[in-house]
Amino acid sequence: MITSKIRTTSQNRPTENRVATLNKSEKRSDQWSQLLISVGETRDRKAFAQLFQHFGPLLKGFAHASRNEGWFPGLGDDLVQEVMIKVWNKAAGYNAEKASATTWIYTVARNCRIDMLRRKSNTQHLPLENEDFWHEPDEETPISLLQQKRSEDRVQASLAQLPKEQDQILRKVYLEGKSHAEASAELGLPLGTVKSRVRLALQKMQLIVSKEAQE
Amino acid sequence: MITSTNHHPDENMLIEFSAGTLDTAASICVSAHLHFCSSCRAKLLRLDQVGSQLMSQAEPVEVTDDALALVMEKIDSGDNAAPKAADFDGDMPFSVNKLIDTSLVNKNWKRLSSSVDVARFKTGQENFEVALHKICAGGKTPKHDHEGLEYTVVLKGSFSDEKAVYREGDFLLRQPGDVHQPMGAQNGECICLSALSAPIKPTSPLGFLMKPWLRINPM
Repeated sequence: MITSKIRTTSQNRPTENRVATLNKSEKRSDQWSQLLISVGETRDRKAFAQLFQHFGPLLKGFAHASRNEGWFPGLGDDLVQEVMIKVWNKAAGYNAEKASATTWIYTVARNCRIDMLRRKSNTQHLPLENEDFWHEPDEETPISLLQQKRSEDRVQASLAQLPKEQDQILRKVYLEGKSHAEASAELGLPLGTVKSRVRLALQKMQLIVSKEAQE
Repeated sequence: MITSTNHHPDENMLIEFSAGTLDTAASICVSAHLHFCSSCRAKLLRLDQVGSQLMSQAEPVEVTDDALALVMEKIDSGDNAAPKAADFDGDMPFSVNKLIDTSLVNKNWKRLSSSVDVARFKTGQENFEVALHKICAGGKTPKHDHEGLEYTVVLKGSFSDEKAVYREGDFLLRQPGDVHQPMGAQNGECICLSALSAPIKPTSPLGFLMKPWLRINPM
């Protein structure tokens, strides 16, 4: 049996250890992460309603930005519903030391959006959902909420300073959900140009070091 | 947990992975690599932050008045409990575990040659054959070129070719023109996840003897 051949050890995933206490500046730093922690810890419905008010319209906008294969008019409302139910159900596993609520909810939304589009355009049974690609081992080095908020603020500030064409390409990739190949066809640019433009944008934001530094 | 690997997916692959636009077969391989590589996980978090900031800047679209009430109703009806990841083997990437549990074409290894076995997966796409390959200790594979793309992630043990030794977590991309001859390490079997978009191309004149290698079954 393949299963027994490959699995040499069998251990369950360690239960996640979350930060129980946050200092004052951390508490102020990111209200969405705080609300999400409350939903996870005490099933706080008021906190959930606040998250819904903030993220609902953003999620719907995120759905409307992607008119790809499989897109359908009701996608916006469906995505809001599916993502927010997942947020409620998975909130107990949310670890503020790994990602802010905004980033965490983005990853849930991105996976949901792809899976919904795929289900619509694909008749084949798909054994893996996009969600399955994001089960990462626990990080050894926690990042405080404050640090995360700072790095998100930096990302936001540097996004605002990107030249137009770099900003445009990042939006195509992340918001419209276009692959590099699709973006290249749509913009009438060689694939290599799209690839280097995306990399340039992220280098400019100092999110990646020079080209393929690790190779 | 091994947290440093030497061979990584390139930045554009990580970016497409973060944006969710990478195709299924490549995503399976990248997610397997991420399981082993903390530096790529850290990179991915930064890329995900770009996505989250862009989503925050998306043109908000008003939701219907009863949207929250509908969600609460569904939550209260209680059939939404998140499915538990059953039997999670912490040493293997989650996506590989799930494929082994749900999507093996055959439950047993199939012999490709005296030193290599294969186990293929059904992954619901038509561009790549996604499979596990097992090279026995010291096993030689035929020297070959590539007709298409070949992604490989070492899951267990190690192997080498003319260029380097590849260990657990290492991610390799081979393209047409890359000729190599992988060899299993002497000290134990090596298991790799691979995704192939075209059959390999043997460089030996006796290549016709390698029949089982010359066909792939994307599924």
